[in-house]
Amino acid sequence: MPAPSTSKVGRPGFVWALPAAVFFTLFAIVPLIMVAVLSFMSWDGISPPEFVGTDNWSRLADDPVMLQSVWLTLLLTALGVVLQTPLSILLGVWAAGYQRNRAVLSVVYFVPLLLSATAVSVLWRALLDPNFGIPASATWLFGDGNLFGEQATAIGVLAFVSTWQFTPFHTLIYQGAARAVPPVLYQAAEIDGAGRYRQFFHITLPQLRTSMITSMILMTVGGLTTFETVLILTQGGPGTDTTISAYYMYDKAFKSFDYGTGSAIALALVVAATVVSLVVVRLSGYDRMRGSTEGVS
Amino acid sequence: MTTRARLPRLVAAGATLALVTGLSACGEGNGGGSSDDGRIHVLVYGDAANKVEQQIVDTFNEKSDVKAVLDTIPGADYQKKLQTIISTPQAPDVFFNWGGGSIKPFVEAGLLLPLDGFIEKNPDLEKKFLPSVFESAVVDGKPYGVPMRGTQPVLLFHNKKVLADAGVEPPKTWDELLGAVEKLKDEGVTPIALGGGDVWPTQMWFQYLYDRIAGPELFAKAVAGDKSAWESEDSRKALGMIEDLVGTGAFGKNYDSVKYTNGGSVQLVASGRAGFELMGSWYYSQQLTDQPEFAEKDLGYTAFPTVAGGKGDPADVAGNTNNYYSVLKKTKHPEAVAEFLKLMYSDEFVKAQLDIGNLPTTTGTDEFIDGSGTPEYSRFQYELVAEAPSFQLSWDQAYPQKASSDMHKAIQQFFNGQLDADGFIKAMQALPTD
Amino acid sequence: MRRRPNYAAGAGSFVWLLLVGLPLYVLLAATLRTRQDYAENGPVSIPDSFTLDNYTGAFDSGFGRYFLNTLLVTACVIGLVLLLVPPLAYAIVRSRGRATSAVFRLFLLGLAIPAQAVIVPMFYLISEAGLYDNLLGVILPTTAFCLPMSALILSGAMRDISPELFEAMAVDGATPRRMFFQLVVPLSRGGLSTIVVFSALQAWNGFLFPLVLTQSEATKVVTLGLYNFQTEHGIDIPGLLGAVVLSMVPVLLVYLFARRALVQGLMGVGGK
Repeated sequence: MPAPSTSKVGRPGFVWALPAAVFFTLFAIVPLIMVAVLSFMSWDGISPPEFVGTDNWSRLADDPVMLQSVWLTLLLTALGVVLQTPLSILLGVWAAGYQRNRAVLSVVYFVPLLLSATAVSVLWRALLDPNFGIPASATWLFGDGNLFGEQATAIGVLAFVSTWQFTPFHTLIYQGAARAVPPVLYQAAEIDGAGRYRQFFHITLPQLRTSMITSMILMTVGGLTTFETVLILTQGGPGTDTTISAYYMYDKAFKSFDYGTGSAIALALVVAATVVSLVVVRLSGYDRMRGSTEGVS
Repeated sequence: MTTRARLPRLVAAGATLALVTGLSACGEGNGGGSSDDGRIHVLVYGDAANKVEQQIVDTFNEKSDVKAVLDTIPGADYQKKLQTIISTPQAPDVFFNWGGGSIKPFVEAGLLLPLDGFIEKNPDLEKKFLPSVFESAVVDGKPYGVPMRGTQPVLLFHNKKVLADAGVEPPKTWDELLGAVEKLKDEGVTPIALGGGDVWPTQMWFQYLYDRIAGPELFAKAVAGDKSAWESEDSRKALGMIEDLVGTGAFGKNYDSVKYTNGGSVQLVASGRAGFELMGSWYYSQQLTDQPEFAEKDLGYTAFPTVAGGKGDPADVAGNTNNYYSVLKKTKHPEAVAEFLKLMYSDEFVKAQLDIGNLPTTTGTDEFIDGSGTPEYSRFQYELVAEAPSFQLSWDQAYPQKASSDMHKAIQQFFNGQLDADGFIKAMQALPTD
Repeated sequence: MRRRPNYAAGAGSFVWLLLVGLPLYVLLAATLRTRQDYAENGPVSIPDSFTLDNYTGAFDSGFGRYFLNTLLVTACVIGLVLLLVPPLAYAIVRSRGRATSAVFRLFLLGLAIPAQAVIVPMFYLISEAGLYDNLLGVILPTTAFCLPMSALILSGAMRDISPELFEAMAVDGATPRRMFFQLVVPLSRGGLSTIVVFSALQAWNGFLFPLVLTQSEATKVVTLGLYNFQTEHGIDIPGLLGAVVLSMVPVLLVYLFARRALVQGLMGVGGK
């Protein structure tokens, strides 16, 4: 497909982006700059803040909990993408069908997204209670059911619950994208005698490319900043075994009232997540893409 | 195309309408919150007990020219929000706290009003409360808080039927408790239920054993900044006993996955699958609401067992002494606030608290206990607290709030074996004390 | 679709239904049983009591008022998002200017800002602006934090509009403004309903901003009200979950409604 001629087409100017940009700068970027300043200060919220140079940063660099939290964050993010991507593609493509039962089930599948953090915590903690929940009736699988008492299983639970909670949202993205695939493509493939699985891999998946990138950026960034799932399910425990970076920031800022260190972690997180999303955008050519048809060739 | 073109207009019109009506409605909202509005703002921990606080505020407003208004902050995030606003113009006049370490940083920042002035004019503000309770809100020798809810000593609860089936008497001493643990294990039940997932229930074992073995002085020293207290022989002895108890399997294997706050550990005891649970006095009303039949028939309670050779007085208790109202220096209506605080030892207050199952710590509580819902239980607690030579405030409340997260980590890690005694001692020594 | 049923997909979706359905069953069952029944028989059991107290209890504790506040916040956030994001996404997708691609990067950066991180400065900003304990003070930051994700979703949807359509309109001499209203907005209805759902969810479930930026009963939103079911040391779980279910219903309705728009909108893509 030839590249569209760009010169003559009427294009919107910067002014279209301006209101949102100003609004966002005011209520997100300005506070972020204040956070950056705070990361060089020592402050407990009560007494006046003091400049301490790079103290917060150098302390963090030597902090084993911080280092561990970086690994945990990366691990959980990777687990999230690996679990959620195939699942939500399959569910999304499946839900894109027009049968009534699919429509009804899609609504059921959507519900986890509506639950507040408190509700998710109460529900899953109840379901996973070692004495009265699922583990008690499936001891062949769960042993003594001490899921929250050991690092490996606690991480597993976190990855699972995140998947449970956020898959619906990504399913929604893929469902929309799958519906948008022109039926002509399938008809042509059927004439060629391609089976369902070949159609899926050769038509559906390539057509979902834009959505996959969007969804994976969201998952990655979401994974890096995951916080509530940990807060509600494990509080970073046992000990510090599930203390991911975003939770460590919360722990420092709002439990230990060390806003300076908390701000430093926050800033590091923002930078890391931005770098990751920019890399994904660059690698995928997302910001240069003009229409999904270019992805097909 | 023409039919489609209508949609964007509809969306735009709808959006504008929503926005305009919404924003104008917001604009009409009150600009409350700031305490410059001529009223006393009373900030409390938001939960089911708020109705009594509201009732007291209403009573106050009937008589007073300066009106009070009750603001609540959703429980779990109370401290976070308080810390954010306390040094700003949005700070309240009077606020809920746990005494001890929870107000110490505010005192040191010069934000709080010492109450000795109020007490000089009206000695009842001190005299009407049990001394061991009033003591918990004294910082650097000056009183900063007036008790405003109920006392919550920690007791050892048990399932009478489970104990009887195993041939066990409610233990009075530590050795009897160890014996009971063995017998209960033989019966195939978890000897002691523990909501380790919440961590603070685990902490209760530490605070009682330290008090029994070393007396209240060890912890008092530690919290005052003498970190050597943690390395003392007594400290190591207490840790050794905890290690042994966990090692015998007294708490089962999966206690870190059990929570108290979702009813998991409560159900273990009520269903007869565990013998004991160490918990605050609120446990009784929790069981009474959830499992009335069990609570009335089979729920037993005793004080924490004594430890042979320990330096602590066997009558000492630990737990939440009470909650307190503290006053900010910047309040514009100190006289009205003093009047408000007087209500905390009024008959109306005591009765209302007893009605919702709290046990107020005024000296006058005694005469109303017989009229309360659970007179026998209330009297047991009241006498325990009134006669206790020392009331050990929960560790995480005695230390400054900022230490609580690291303290909980250390407690959980020592309990489940991730830290040894040396590691625990080091972690406790690293906690901030001011 | 006129093809034989896909058994593998059906089985897979059934497994997922179990995983999603079981917690939802526990949720609904818990709200319809007494606290005593729940405590005695555990969450996974079949209820042997029936009560609506958990729902009426929620209303008695002031939920009506909280609902109105949340509704207002949600409506305003949706309104603001719909005013701000479509032009932004249009510019991101169609503009070739450097400034616009800088804005796009700014929003990518914004994607990564956790609300937790900026909450303290936000408090000072909002109180300086005189918006403390005012719902407007909740609406503005909530909207700001909806923008990055909404921009990403909507620009994704707008990218799928075929370039030929723009060219065809350009040949007719259409201005960017006309293209926006006649081409871009109608063809990105799917994306629009997704961002409506997304921002409605953010506003409806928002906890942190209301927590720190409001104080009095008059400005309390539902998510804060949920905590009234929690005491300092215990929870009335059926009561809490009853309130949770109530708080979900309106968003579910919005979704059901938006779902139709979503399907219709997406079917229009491709200029058919």
